[in-house]
Parts: sequence; structure tokens; C-alpha cells
Amino acid sequence: MAETRRNARQNHLTLAQQIINIALERAMKAGDHLPEKLFSDICGVSRTPVRAAFRLLEENNILTRREEEGYFLAVSESDDLAQAAQALEGLEQSLADRILSDRAERRIGDVQSVSALARKYNASRHSVLFALKILSQDGVATQLPGRAWAFQPMLDSPKAMDESLAFRLILEPQAILAPGFTVDSKKAGLLRGQMQDILTIKEGRITAAGFMRIDTDFHCFIAECSANRFARGTLLAHHRLRRATQKDAAVPDFRLRQSLEEHLHILDSLEQNQFDVAADLMVLHLRRSRIRRPEAANRGIPPLIRRPRA
Amino acid sequence: MSHSPVIALFPEASFGAALNCVGIAQELQRLGATPVFICHPGFTGVFAEYGFREYHLRDAAPSSANEAEDYWQSFIRNQLSHFDLDPEAQLPTYVSPTWEAIVDTVEAAEEGLEALLDRIRPDAILLDNVIMFPAIIRAGCPWVRVVSCAETELPDVHVPPYLSGLDPKDKAACRRFEKAYLKATDAAHRRYNAFRKARGLDPLPAGNFLETSPHLNLVLAPTAVRYTRKQPLDEPKFVFLEGCVRSETRFDPPQFPVEDGPLIYMSFGSLGAIDTHLIERMIDVFATVPARFLINVGGFLEAYERVPDNVFLGSWFPQPSVVAQSALFIHHGGNNSYCEALYHGVPSLIMPYCWDGHDNAQRAQATGTGLHMHRSHWTAEELEAAVLALLQDAGMKARLKAISKDMKANPGTSRAASAVLDVLRAKVRAG
Repeated sequence: MAETRRNARQNHLTLAQQIINIALERAMKAGDHLPEKLFSDICGVSRTPVRAAFRLLEENNILTRREEEGYFLAVSESDDLAQAAQALEGLEQSLADRILSDRAERRIGDVQSVSALARKYNASRHSVLFALKILSQDGVATQLPGRAWAFQPMLDSPKAMDESLAFRLILEPQAILAPGFTVDSKKAGLLRGQMQDILTIKEGRITAAGFMRIDTDFHCFIAECSANRFARGTLLAHHRLRRATQKDAAVPDFRLRQSLEEHLHILDSLEQNQFDVAADLMVLHLRRSRIRRPEAANRGIPPLIRRPRA
Repeated sequence: MSHSPVIALFPEASFGAALNCVGIAQELQRLGATPVFICHPGFTGVFAEYGFREYHLRDAAPSSANEAEDYWQSFIRNQLSHFDLDPEAQLPTYVSPTWEAIVDTVEAAEEGLEALLDRIRPDAILLDNVIMFPAIIRAGCPWVRVVSCAETELPDVHVPPYLSGLDPKDKAACRRFEKAYLKATDAAHRRYNAFRKARGLDPLPAGNFLETSPHLNLVLAPTAVRYTRKQPLDEPKFVFLEGCVRSETRFDPPQFPVEDGPLIYMSFGSLGAIDTHLIERMIDVFATVPARFLINVGGFLEAYERVPDNVFLGSWFPQPSVVAQSALFIHHGGNNSYCEALYHGVPSLIMPYCWDGHDNAQRAQATGTGLHMHRSHWTAEELEAAVLALLQDAGMKARLKAISKDMKANPGTSRAASAVLDVLRAKVRAG
């Protein structure tokens, strides 16, 4: 029961952060109204969790509530909003999140013992073990024989990013082509609406976090629709890892929008049952995402590109 | 101009020039022109990500990814120690072989460049480089020189010699450096002049690899740090740019386990990122400083373990957006970085490696817009003291605030794009 409550709270927290990002992207100002229905549509959830997230934001002085009028933004500057988002993140960051975040930022090594982590986080061995079990469910950590735990590779370097895209190039088109791919029309419609909504955001204001969220939502949707259970499971685990640890998200605005347009074209083909076209468009989308800038460049020297090209 | 003029931008194969040109291209596009990029091998996709069409120069000697990595490993082995030398001592060890390599690049690119220009048929060409490619002059359209390394690229009695890092008042040292520079570049220069002759171009004076354009020269040198020349550069053929800052993705700083202190950004460019040992030494010092550090480690993230709680490493940052939020920018003195710091009113701690980094470090110190420090000859106490001194320097902060206000009132990207289109309009008027 306690765990269920924690998860619900965590979901409201995630939704609250999503609401702040939307307010940031739309350059909302103090006093602007946040209609429940609009945010429920944008976030693709019912009004009840939106209301709970609004309450959480009110508790943290980010929103104010007026009787019979609803919720209004209480913070004005975008910097204050960004700070509010961070404060919210710190509000209830679980030990698992802290370990994952430190791991993604290279603050802890590949192999860790429970007691070393307990010392680092000033936590009990029981709490650390619980956190590691949560991470192992997401495939981020694995228990080794004995008392040590090994962390899986993170998506934190250009090389890891390239390997991830190479892996997805193999599997994602096949997930679409596997017999029995079934489009969840309701979810497809929600995703389409969310992506179209992001495309209306002013140039330069789409956040990296906002894009990462919709990007992983879209690719998870593809995996969930696949009838091949192994492709589905493997891809879902990989996208969870991407969402948790992918760092290299500083993509120029043009490419972010181009990626969203590519997602929409893939959705079009899927909804028209043109799975072969959708799979080809997925290849094109992932290949474009795989083109990386050189890792080092200087006058008089050939630029360094260390990844094998597909 | 009834049609959308096609402007071919041709930056050298370095991020500074490439991203400087992206800023100008964004403005050209906004003003109705059609900017396209000519890319050196390896830069495929860099400009497409910003929405610009790319034309690719062929790789003269295609090499595998492993060969390129071997080349860089050997470059690191041979050159790292040279980066610790003073500018004059770097002339034979780094500057001379680099000019030889640049001349190689020009010779290898010429045929492909001529074919590309014939295909693009641009209305104008923007060259952001340190050397002329004869195909550009031979294309027959107006060409624009972008001087984006340092103002010292354009000599004058009151300007210190290019790459010297010297104070212009130190006349004896300036003369000695000039003499040593001519000697170091002599072989490459002779070879380059022979190539120019073969391509129908006049030779250039000793030490000079790039003429000024008869049409337009865009000089990335903000008013606040510009030299007073004995022989002023004539407008409108010379247009000074108050920075050239591109529009970038919005950056939200990550959450640090330690949330205290100002944000400090450090980037030595992709070349500087190769010295992982030095950056590790700096990280050890930063761990004790009450601030949060964002560090660009380029393609070498996997070389780092045990990152302190107040440090965040990344392989790429949308720099203009990060600098705007920083209280201090530690960099290698690349002109783009220095100008971005000035544009956002942020003090610079410049630790130059080579080339124009020395000139910009000297200029930052002389104009009170930053501090010049040797890139590796320091103790932990000295580095910490330099960082804290810059964070606490109220006078510098006030000076930079005023500079930033002036630069933002006259952004270089808009000025550059307007000047380029003025050249085309003048050409139309002249028939």
C-alpha cells in the first residue's frame, strides 16, 4: 500500500514537472490561467491526475487557486519556473533516482557494493537494496554473484548514443514489420495531438526534456503495438534506459521539429496500414538521428569521427 | 533582387567558424536569402541540423574511422606538450606544420570546390577561413571574407602580430615574433604561392595566406576590445561585428547533488577536450570550489570516472544558451567563445592552447574583460584563486554588463547579413 502511494505521488510529481515544462515552452506569465481540460489533452491523461498535479504545484507556490476559477501561474520569469521545476524534482527524489542520476553523471563507478552506496547516501542497507531492486527492474543494474551490483551501460557518450541508434535501427523497423502489429488508435491520436501541439511552440523554446519525453513516448508506443513479444520487451527496456540516462539532448530546434514531423509521417503510414512504408520511414528517421557532429575538429586536421557509419 | 539570392557559406573545418557562420546564415534566411553550406568532410549534418542545405566536398584521401582515430591519437601524443609552449616557441612546433596541413587542404579541395560552386552558382560566397581557395575568386561572384579568428589577422602598426599573444607596445618582442613567424611559415607560403600561380592568382606577400575581399570583409571584433589602428579599415568594405551569436536550443541546467554556488561553464573546444589529463586535474580543483561547473569534455566522456557532486560533464552543450546563464566562462580563447562571453556580459578565464587563443587571452587581460592564465602551469591554489577572483570582481562585472548591452543592441549576425545583401544590391544597381 505504501509503495502504491509512493508511485502515485511519483506520477503526480512527474506530471507536475511536465506541466511546468509546458508553461515554460508556451512562455506563460504570472497570472495566466491553466485550464484543466487543455492540460489533460496535452499531457494525454484524465483530469483527475492533472488536478492532483495542480494541487502539488499549489503546495509548492508555483500555482495559485481561485475559487470557481481554477489554477493560475504564480511564478513569472522563466528562470523562476525552471528553478521551480528543479525544486520539485528534489522534493521527492527517491534513492533509486538519486543513484541513477549519479550513475548517469559518472559520479559512481560501474560496480558498487551495497555498503559503499549506503555510506555515500547515508542510507540504510535495506533502503539501498530496495533502490537497487527498483533499478534492476528497469534493467539498469544487475546483482553479481556475492554482494556487488553492476550498472548497465548508460546512454551518456557519443559512442553509447551511436550504439543505441545502431541497435534501434536493427530492431524498431522489425518491430513494425512483425506480423500482427496493431495500432492503438486512441493512443496514436493522443500522441499525434501532443506532437502537433509541441510543433506550435515558438522557435527555440522546445525544451530538451520535453522533446525527450515525447520522443520516448512515441518509440515506446511503436514497441507496445508490436506483436513480437521479445522485440516489444527489449525495446521498452531500452527506451526506459534512454529516458532515464540519455544526456546528449542538445539538438538544434530545426532537427527537433524535423524529428517530430518524421514521427507524424510514421503515424500516418501506420494508421493507413502501410507497415512497410512506416518501417522504411523509421529507418530514415533513425539514420538521420544517427548523423553526428565530429568529436574533434581543428584547422589543418581531418575531423575525428569515431563511430562506424551505417 | 527579385529572387532569393543564394549565399554559399564556406567555413573552415572547425566548430568556431562553422557555428559563427550558422549565426549569419540564420539571419540571411530571416532576411529572405537562401543560405547554403559547403562542408568539409566530416561536417556532414552539422548544418542540416540547423535546417540548411549542405554541399559536401569529397574526402581527398578517404580514411576509415580507425585511421582517423589513429591520426588523432598520434596528434595528441605529438602536440600536447607543444600546447604548453609560449606562442613564439609554438611557431616551429605547431604553427609551421599546421600551415603546411592547411595548404594541403586547399590543394586537395580545389577541384571539388570548383565543381561544387559551378553546381551551386551562388550569388555570393562567404569564406570563413584563414586561407584563400582559388576556386572562390575564380567563381566570379562577389565573395566575402569573414575574419573570425582574431582582429590580429588584419595587420597594422598598432596591432600585435597575428598569433603572437603580445602587447602591441612591446615593439621589440613584436619585431622578433614577426621575423620568426615569416621564417616558420616560409616553406608553406612558397608552396601556396606556387599553387595560386598555377590557378591564375597573384602571389601574396610573405606570411599572408588570405587577401582582403574587394567586396566585403566581416571582422568579428566587438568595439570594447577593438584596437585603435594607425590605418583605420575603410567602411563599407570592412564591417565590424559585435559578436556573431547564433540562435540555439534552450538549455536548462541539470540538477546537481550540490545546489550551492554560481554556475561556471568550461569548454576548451573540441581540440582542448583531447587533454583529458589536464581536465581531470582541473576537476579535482573544482571539487573544492563553492560553485557548480558544467564542463564540455567533447568526445571523451568515457575517460572520466568519479565526477564530483558539483561538476556535470557533457559531450556537447548549446553554448550560447549556457554562457548566458553562467557567472564565469573558462575557455581556450577561441574568438567565438570570447565574443559569446562578451555578448552575455560574462567574465572569461582564458587558458589558451594555440593559434588565436593567445591573441584573445592577451586582449581580454588588457581590456579588463577576463584573465589570462597558462593552460597547465598552475597550482590548485592558483587556479582556485583565479576562479574566485573573477567571480568577485565587481568592476569587471559592471564593465561587462555595459559591453553586453551595447553588443545586444547591434547584434553581429544582423549586421553581417545586412552587409552581405547590401553588396548584392550594389551589384544589381551597377548592372
